[in-house]
Amino acid sequence: MTNLPQTTSTLPVSGLKSRVLRHKGMMIGSTIVVFVVLLALLAPLIAPHDPYQQDLLNRLKPPVWDPRGSWEHIFGTDHLGRDYLSRLIYGSRISLLIGIGAALISGVIGTFLGVMAGYFGGRVDMVVTFLITVRLSMPVVLVALAVVAIVGGSLQVVIGVLGLLLWDRFAVVMRSSTLQIRSMDYVTAARAVGCSTTRILMTEVMPNVVNNLIVIATLEIAHAIILEAALSFLGLGVQPPLPSWGLMVSEGKDMMLFEPWLITIPGVALFALVLSVNLLGDGMRDVTAPENRN
Amino acid sequence: MKNKNFVLSLIGALAATMMYSPAYADKSSDTLNIAIDRELESIDNYYNTAREGIVISRMIWDGLLYRDPATNEYIPNLATSYEWIDSKTLQFDLRSDVNFHNGEKFDADDVVFTMNYLADPANGAKPARNVNWWSNAEKLGDYKVQLNLKTEFPAALEFLSGPVVMYPNEYYGEVGPEGMALNPVGTGPYMVTSVEPGKRYKFSKYAGYHSGSPKGSASIGKIVIRTIAESNTQLAELFSGGIDWIWKVKPDQAQRVEAQGNFTVKNSSTMRIGYLNFDASGRHGENPMNDVRVRKAIAHSINREGIVEALVQGESIVVNSLCFPTQFGCTQDVAKYDYNPEKAKELLAEAGYPNGFETPFLAYRNRDYAEAMINNLNAVGITVKFTYLKYAAFRDKVQDGGSPFNFGTWGSYSINDVSAITSHFQRGGKDDYSRDSEVMENLKTGDTSVDLAVRKDAYKKALSRIAEEVFMFPLWSYNTNYAFSKDLNFNPTPDEIPRFFTATWK
Amino acid sequence: MIAYAFKRSILAILVALTVSMISFSLLYISSDPAIAMAGETASDADIEAIRQLYGFDRPIVVQYLDWLKKAISGDLGKSYYFRTDVSHLIAERLPTTMTLGLCAIIFAIGLAVPLGVASAIRPNSIIDRVALFLSVMGQALPSFWFALILIVLFSVNLRWLPVSGSDTWLHFVMPTIVLGYYAAPAIMRLTRTGMLEVLSTDYIRTARAKGLRPPVVLFKHALRNAIIPVVSLAAVQFGFMLGGSIVVETIFALHGAGFLAWESITRNDLPTVQGLILAFSLFYIILTLIADLINAWLDPRIRIS
Repeated sequence: MTNLPQTTSTLPVSGLKSRVLRHKGMMIGSTIVVFVVLLALLAPLIAPHDPYQQDLLNRLKPPVWDPRGSWEHIFGTDHLGRDYLSRLIYGSRISLLIGIGAALISGVIGTFLGVMAGYFGGRVDMVVTFLITVRLSMPVVLVALAVVAIVGGSLQVVIGVLGLLLWDRFAVVMRSSTLQIRSMDYVTAARAVGCSTTRILMTEVMPNVVNNLIVIATLEIAHAIILEAALSFLGLGVQPPLPSWGLMVSEGKDMMLFEPWLITIPGVALFALVLSVNLLGDGMRDVTAPENRN
Repeated sequence: MKNKNFVLSLIGALAATMMYSPAYADKSSDTLNIAIDRELESIDNYYNTAREGIVISRMIWDGLLYRDPATNEYIPNLATSYEWIDSKTLQFDLRSDVNFHNGEKFDADDVVFTMNYLADPANGAKPARNVNWWSNAEKLGDYKVQLNLKTEFPAALEFLSGPVVMYPNEYYGEVGPEGMALNPVGTGPYMVTSVEPGKRYKFSKYAGYHSGSPKGSASIGKIVIRTIAESNTQLAELFSGGIDWIWKVKPDQAQRVEAQGNFTVKNSSTMRIGYLNFDASGRHGENPMNDVRVRKAIAHSINREGIVEALVQGESIVVNSLCFPTQFGCTQDVAKYDYNPEKAKELLAEAGYPNGFETPFLAYRNRDYAEAMINNLNAVGITVKFTYLKYAAFRDKVQDGGSPFNFGTWGSYSINDVSAITSHFQRGGKDDYSRDSEVMENLKTGDTSVDLAVRKDAYKKALSRIAEEVFMFPLWSYNTNYAFSKDLNFNPTPDEIPRFFTATWK
Repeated sequence: MIAYAFKRSILAILVALTVSMISFSLLYISSDPAIAMAGETASDADIEAIRQLYGFDRPIVVQYLDWLKKAISGDLGKSYYFRTDVSHLIAERLPTTMTLGLCAIIFAIGLAVPLGVASAIRPNSIIDRVALFLSVMGQALPSFWFALILIVLFSVNLRWLPVSGSDTWLHFVMPTIVLGYYAAPAIMRLTRTGMLEVLSTDYIRTARAKGLRPPVVLFKHALRNAIIPVVSLAAVQFGFMLGGSIVVETIFALHGAGFLAWESITRNDLPTVQGLILAFSLFYIILTLIADLINAWLDPRIRIS
């Protein structure tokens, strides 16, 4: 029983490794992601200044490549005279936190619903499918806005709201993957020898859907980060003085026509992060299941 | 990348053949294009509380009187003269040469209809404060009316020369507020030619405007007012010639627009002031703000001069008394708190918080000012849990007693009298967190007396005590930036109501 | 088929009811709507009057049933802010959003399908890579930034296009590009996958072997088969777009339903927000219902299962 064959990840490890190394998108993606994660972890060591320290006499100083700029503030200062580079470095923490937090919450909800529906079928499946349909019928951005407008934005609220809204893709994919696995011989066998449902779910089903789970999770991390930027644009993102990249973009927005670097610097960071998380997710799908590239 | 180049050149070719020529929007077509940042609920003067609505109201309608923005003198407009019969009765002689835009003749019937319509609370005219102070109007002749006040009301002339405007009785009786909102008719210098609710309003000069009006005849032929919510879009429209006039331009933006030199930028002070409100009386429960030493410490910790200079900019000034300096009764002779972090720390230590404390902090606008103040507070050891809300949510929370400490602003409805601000906040209303009997007593005296000296004295006592006890901490006054085409002559007024009928092309 | 259609319609109605309930309760935990309605310069007396006038003091269940009863008969109540009928307001604003959504979906299909086909014909070629790049970029560029860049480029610097408004079709060019660009990646990926699959099937090989000209094989046989799922995806995307055009409408001052929704949220104009959420949801539900029914009609396997 313990030696039941594994079906989905039967790829030889060496082949996997070489495929990863040959996959350019994935290499670029993972390099940037690792870089941003390092920035976030080591922020206090790297940041040249305190990201919260204001200096009202030195507001909106341009970055070093501008003739008016200086090495003191490599990326300039924001509208309250805070060092832009330091805020960018600390901002990586908040943006990652939002992405990972929201993906975690929606992942738990979506996986739970999806696996239940796929494994038990029947009524459970009906209810879950119904929930998914309801969820898809609601305009996400609108609902997120309405909720945040009511309770006031904060890091927890933003993560919570996005987490509660983005579970649909998890549920859909987990449901169909579980459906596939349920009919596999080894699951039937496990059931035949009398394994408990929990045990089957944890030891037989989950390990086999985890690949898909990770792929969806990366896409949803990217999605949550972008949505937070949109919320910030409408004035409903995280609360200042927390420096999320989305908030930095929206704070720089007013001066966009005059000091475009205020929006370009965090905008490019945001773009690179979301892009690389996406590339990483796509790459993982290609590498683990090359026949499924779409 | 071949593909991308192809797409780009395709777009280029397409655009070149379809070169956009905007309906300019300038001197040559005698059209002034204006952008505002919000959708107006209605263009009907009595179902609208937005400042932009007041601006438009001044274009379409007239009041019995008019306050000269330069001298603050009340001059007859639709009336030819007015007379106080006693302290609760006003009589007006009316002009006989005025016609509404639809040809209806203006006479005493219009005034009586308008005033009695507004006086009936069932009609729900708002803001109620503008229209709830008289009981009725009587017709004394074809061109003579009498207004009977409920109580003595010192600000009657101020209201009659601003927000209270005259409607045509026959037309309004027929179409009601909904009809008026879609096709407004007044006696003012501009008539409305098209209304797309919330989106765009078009006006043209009213050729038959009465020549005796203190407002003077309009000069510019056509005006178009559009709603553009995003400030970058407004600026882009200004730069590309689609819009000629914008306001509420943020200070940093205004500075850069001015530096470019292609547009006129003007700054004008407004009556709005910012304040910090503390839960002095414990409405929110026991908290550090109950202690006057803590409130004084906060007052000393905020660098108001620095924030005004760097962020608020323009004609704004630091205020020490809880009112705008030009308002009647706004004494400047009150306790002042300079920026002194050391003293703030001492006061905190005295109050039993040598290491500071944490407190919730609410705000609903000017997030950057709030952040700057938070920085000041941190410097003396006070940390805050900051929540930035939309106005509706903010007001709700504050009025429910849910906030020990918040940053708000108040515009006094542009009324040049202390009763419009100090009494609102400190006379026991929902926004009053100090509930101080001495302050309330004095404000009541000031609000109800008609003796100017008595009022002045009572307000002085109230304002001095508020400052002494730091029930609320006044911060600074606000200002508005206007940016407009170099072809335009326009002068902002201190009451923050742009008068487009006085604007001219150069 | 009729039984399936009936079952599917019941489901749609249930979904619509659930959505209405969620949106209703969601917005009723909001801050006091009377304050928002009265506006920033209102006095306490104004607020109290409004509270009683609109019956905010009644229990929430009563308010919901009352609202639902009226909603079914097409009466969504009066906007707190504009004081006009919500249904009228939505009818007035929806055409702008519909026009924008339709243009955007056409743009998205026009961009995505040819790119998808091209990259399926030559996988891993330059075109395939460009297509991939464009699609990944569509997922990573915040839409407001993209929109503002377009404005600076085409309106302020080149002066080819008007900045904002909705008077002529030129006003719709930039909003269409921005909104459509975000719908394109999904459509492109699906087209590519579909084409790859179809191109490897036996009958295409047969068609080729028979000596049919490549364009004929490609367009007459392959694309026709690959496009079916794309059409239903496009329907779904179109539904999403209506709710998702808030940012685009705000920036380009389009005064459609999305902008109305956003403004209504900030004004706590509950009847309008509820009406709009309901309208967007219904629109999506009907679109998917139609798509499902068409699919069932095309593919008997669906209606049997």
